[in-house]
Amino acid sequence: MNRYLSNKKAIGLFLLPALLIYSVVIIYPVLQTVYRSFFNWDGLSTATWNGLSNYRDLLEDPLLITSLRNGLLFALVLAVFQIGLGTVLALACADPRIKGRKLLKTSYFIPVVLSVTVVCQLWIAMYDPTNGLINRLFNLLHIPYQQNWLTSPTVSIIAIAFVNAWQFMGYQFSLLYAGVKSIPEQYMEAATIDGCSKWMAHRKVTIPLMKENYKFCLIVAITSGIGAFVQMLIMTSGGPGTSNYTLTYMIYRYAFMESNYGYACAVSVVLVALSLLATMIINKTFDRNEA
Amino acid sequence: MNKLRAVLVQTPLWIYFVISVYPLVWMISYSLKNNDEIFVTNPFGFPTHFRIENYIAAWSQFNIPRYFINSFIVSSISTLLIIVLALMFSFAIARMRWKFRESVRLYMTIGMFMPLQVIMIPLAILVRDFHLTNTYGALIVPYVAIGLPFSCLIFYGFMKGIPGELEESACMDGANIYRMFLQIIVPVVTPAIATVAIFQFLSNWNEFMLAYILISDEAMKTLPLGLLFFQGQYSTDWGGMGAVMTIASLPMVIVYLFFSEQVENAMTVGSAVKG
Repeated sequence: MNRYLSNKKAIGLFLLPALLIYSVVIIYPVLQTVYRSFFNWDGLSTATWNGLSNYRDLLEDPLLITSLRNGLLFALVLAVFQIGLGTVLALACADPRIKGRKLLKTSYFIPVVLSVTVVCQLWIAMYDPTNGLINRLFNLLHIPYQQNWLTSPTVSIIAIAFVNAWQFMGYQFSLLYAGVKSIPEQYMEAATIDGCSKWMAHRKVTIPLMKENYKFCLIVAITSGIGAFVQMLIMTSGGPGTSNYTLTYMIYRYAFMESNYGYACAVSVVLVALSLLATMIINKTFDRNEA
Repeated sequence: MNKLRAVLVQTPLWIYFVISVYPLVWMISYSLKNNDEIFVTNPFGFPTHFRIENYIAAWSQFNIPRYFINSFIVSSISTLLIIVLALMFSFAIARMRWKFRESVRLYMTIGMFMPLQVIMIPLAILVRDFHLTNTYGALIVPYVAIGLPFSCLIFYGFMKGIPGELEESACMDGANIYRMFLQIIVPVVTPAIATVAIFQFLSNWNEFMLAYILISDEAMKTLPLGLLFFQGQYSTDWGGMGAVMTIASLPMVIVYLFFSEQVENAMTVGSAVKG
């Protein structure tokens, strides 16, 4: 049996195709990115080594501050909207007395399966200052607030982040709902018998027990916030001006519009480092509470 | 009192139901209106009569069928390749006996934690150097590589749980290792294959960023990419734009409505392993 299962030829045959394509398309490019970030390189001609100077330039690049700030704002909107509201909806929806749960769950998830292009275009129409749904709705409700949602340098980043939050709300909701459902009902019963109200019991019992779910949801929200790109690209091309730039948008611009590949690679390295750092901090924080 | 509480608990659920679904209803309803009805006479309500002409114009004047075909080819070939390669890889890691299998498994896992944006630049250059630009290969090859770490992890988990007796009896019966893989292991992990297939097909179908960077030829564009260019063309014709977006969305929504449970499970399983 042992010889049977350690057939070297078979192992090689099973392993190699996946290993090859994965190494060439994922691992090698990652290493390339790090390596190229130390070069002055336009993507075509020979690269010249310039050590840390890409990183030094980056520190003085005003776009970096804009991008970091936008990334954090984006992440914050995702975290608050998806996790905060998602929790409320998941807890309410888990109540067996609620009618139409299947319909509710299904409808929350529908935006997830849509193409991001459709969602962005739909919201461009909704945000339209004169004909869009949002401003008209405010008008209808006699709320005097009107906004140029996508062209205002202060509001647009929030408006764009909201589109992402809206689309993937159903996804985070499903994760949280699965978390609520996985908690044995006896726990809740015991808490209510001890005199807790339903919401109190949720706060003391359900939510703490969903730590792993929250950890994951938070990692998803924060890393997708830091790396956001598509929504800015489609909805405002990073504008007005450069006010909606994110790190990924910087990479895209420097690499593909200005052919400054070395510099763009340095931005990529910053992006990965930040994502990994955020993941690590979230992991550490959640694990410390355990002790 | 209890009734009041039940209503209170339900209210946020139905409010968010409207927030979640109404934008789509609005999109479909304006795809059936003309500009006058959208802007002036009837902005919120259902169309007074159905203007199918928006759909006819959208379908006949633009490349929608082409985009559909491209998306379908790219997504299905990538998904198929991912499943085949990941099954083979996971089998070697989970069932066969050799020295470095744990390290190879960890090596594959790294890919799950890499933000896609890091490989964007070298990938564009790689695709150019391999002369894959503006071919299906430009998307299929990256999609396969990106899909592997996750799929391998799912299959690995499933295969670990298979009892060894199954293999032993196959071995006794004289099946060679390849037959055992195909006739014993693969059928046993069918549920995992379904999960991976749904998850990967959906991600590939909707992938935007790499397609945007790697494809510029109109004839090779996938659906998410093709839709982007209606924005300029249709900026004054909201009805036409709505029709295009509705045509592009309905197939996925319908598939989802039929398989909602499986789709949601696939997506949640996909995430659970990442944490």
